[in-house]
Amino acid sequence: MDAIQSLFAGFETALTPLNLLWALVGVTLGTLVGVLPGIGPALTVALLLPVTAKLPPVSAFIMFAGIYYGGMFGGSTTSILLNTPGESSSIITALEGNKMARRGRAAAALATAAIGSFVAGTIGTALLTFAAPAIADVAVQIPPSAKFALIMLAFVTISATFGGSPLRGLISLFLGLAIGLIGTDLQSGQARFTLGYPELLDGIDFVTVVIGLFAVGETLFVASRLRKDKASVIKLDGNARMNREDWRRSWKPWLRGTALGFPFGAIPAGGAEIPTFLSYTLEKKLSKHPEEFGKGAIEGVAGPEAANNASAAGVLVPLLTLGLPTSATAAILLAAFQQYGLQPGPLLFVTSPDLVWGLIASLYIGNVMLLALNLPLAPIWAKLLLIPRPFLYAGILVFSTVGVYSLNNSVFDLFLLAIFGLIGYGMRRFDFPVTPAIIGVILGPVSESQFRTAMQQSGGDMSVFVRQPLSAFILLIVLAALVVPQVLKSRAARQGAAS
Amino acid sequence: MSDPVTTPIPAARRGLSVPDLLVALGVLIIGALLLIGTLKIPFGINAYVGPRVFPMIVSVGTLALGALLLVATLRGYRAEPAAEEDSDPDAQPDLRQPGIILGGFLLGSLILVPLGFVVGTAVMYFSVGFAFGERRAPLLAGVALIVALVTYVAFTRGLGLSLPAGILKGVL
Repeated sequence: MDAIQSLFAGFETALTPLNLLWALVGVTLGTLVGVLPGIGPALTVALLLPVTAKLPPVSAFIMFAGIYYGGMFGGSTTSILLNTPGESSSIITALEGNKMARRGRAAAALATAAIGSFVAGTIGTALLTFAAPAIADVAVQIPPSAKFALIMLAFVTISATFGGSPLRGLISLFLGLAIGLIGTDLQSGQARFTLGYPELLDGIDFVTVVIGLFAVGETLFVASRLRKDKASVIKLDGNARMNREDWRRSWKPWLRGTALGFPFGAIPAGGAEIPTFLSYTLEKKLSKHPEEFGKGAIEGVAGPEAANNASAAGVLVPLLTLGLPTSATAAILLAAFQQYGLQPGPLLFVTSPDLVWGLIASLYIGNVMLLALNLPLAPIWAKLLLIPRPFLYAGILVFSTVGVYSLNNSVFDLFLLAIFGLIGYGMRRFDFPVTPAIIGVILGPVSESQFRTAMQQSGGDMSVFVRQPLSAFILLIVLAALVVPQVLKSRAARQGAAS
Repeated sequence: MSDPVTTPIPAARRGLSVPDLLVALGVLIIGALLLIGTLKIPFGINAYVGPRVFPMIVSVGTLALGALLLVATLRGYRAEPAAEEDSDPDAQPDLRQPGIILGGFLLGSLILVPLGFVVGTAVMYFSVGFAFGERRAPLLAGVALIVALVTYVAFTRGLGLSLPAGILKGVL
């Protein structure tokens, strides 16, 4: 019952006219930027950080909540109408939703995605409301050694276990870790890897890294191999809407997608990709019209889209209770917390309850606003896809410049941005995933400080990681997550070669 | 290499790729530079884990991963470029376009403070638009100036950020 009381207090915070306005600004900006091709939710949050720079923390996080869900909603519009997913978790939506749109069912595809996202987001947020405080209560007792082990688990699962190439994922992770090391070591006061530049003493702001690797890197890469023919955007006339038959076929996939998405988001399992694929397979198996799959089956949009949004809610559980991000977007939210001098984790529920519960309450509010925005305004969002690419990418670069320059009012940061843009180009050209690098930059320093605290407490005795049961258990999983997929892969290859 | 059992990747038969080889060497060089940088960090005092420990782990790890990548590349593994929205995976890559963007960006950064935010970002906008194939120069320049101006006003007046005014000082 405590959770309900706290939630009511959160609604009191979030429902003030000014905070409602910020929530509305957040969902609108989030959807707007999320719809733009080439900008996924992670970049959306990073680009919009300067917008929140002058706000008090509670209002800022209410706005982030809106941006976070809004970016997800916007992404599905792009995949359905343009067949180009902004992120891997929208691949399925692009696959099935675009086929639907091509058959003249764009309105229904958008509606089932929007309503499904609303249902999944609301159920997911409700689960978060009750799970988070309970987990936070337990998490207070987790020792630093186990927290370090948890971060290792996030590192390994995100970079190696679920990626295409574990080697490339790990190289990306280590690049991020190296960038995270630059600057003054807070415990000893020693400068590390600053090459004599005083600008580097404070470290490199993650915003520069994120915008460089994502936005600038992508702009350079797309420019180098531009599609000459125009992308075909499907025309949408009228609101997003569904008929009775669509509702009948959608509601079960929504609930099943939610059930798959939330737990997968909450464990460090590489984000929303896996549950969306699982949901698609499940719906195909359960459907009475399996022959429609691949040609535009509404279940194939409803289920994965719900799974995607439920996992976005699930991701917030480890983020808020353990300070452990399990997706690139969550990592950026974590860094945004740190910018306000807040450390997400179990103590946050005790030290800043108004902020945490205001944030959770505004997730509910944001969901309602998004539904209201997306159904009638879908044709307007669709218009955004018609912006000619030269003007669109030029605009993205200008906003990137504002975002990075306004951090320190320093041109030096813009040169760093160019360097990270080049690295981002190279990573796309040579197939290195970007997310592990982002996780490395943001979580690297956290992992170092947890490791040091653990060593300080144990008096320099490394065996604490083996003797502390929880740490040992998690590290065992880390090892398994690193080794098992490789063994399975090589066994499958051997069997493939033998047969 | 002739034994199909030890080469699970079909790409392994396509021969050595020079760009991939350079990337693998690049990772090794980064690892080596990190190691040199690590050795320059002074030892901390009064701590079980000094400021050198993590940099050491990261640099040795990078070297090891670079070595693995080198081995994989020498065995014929090559990376496939990412498939991004708006990009054509089969297009012949043209490095002049990213060059124009980068040049415009650096020029814009250099004049950002002396000439002001509006002029600087307008140069950046123009160079990206040009690199993406927009050849109507007056239109592109006009849009560039409007976008830069609106952004400037929105962020300075609306959000209270301070951006360099440059030559427009006093006008805005």
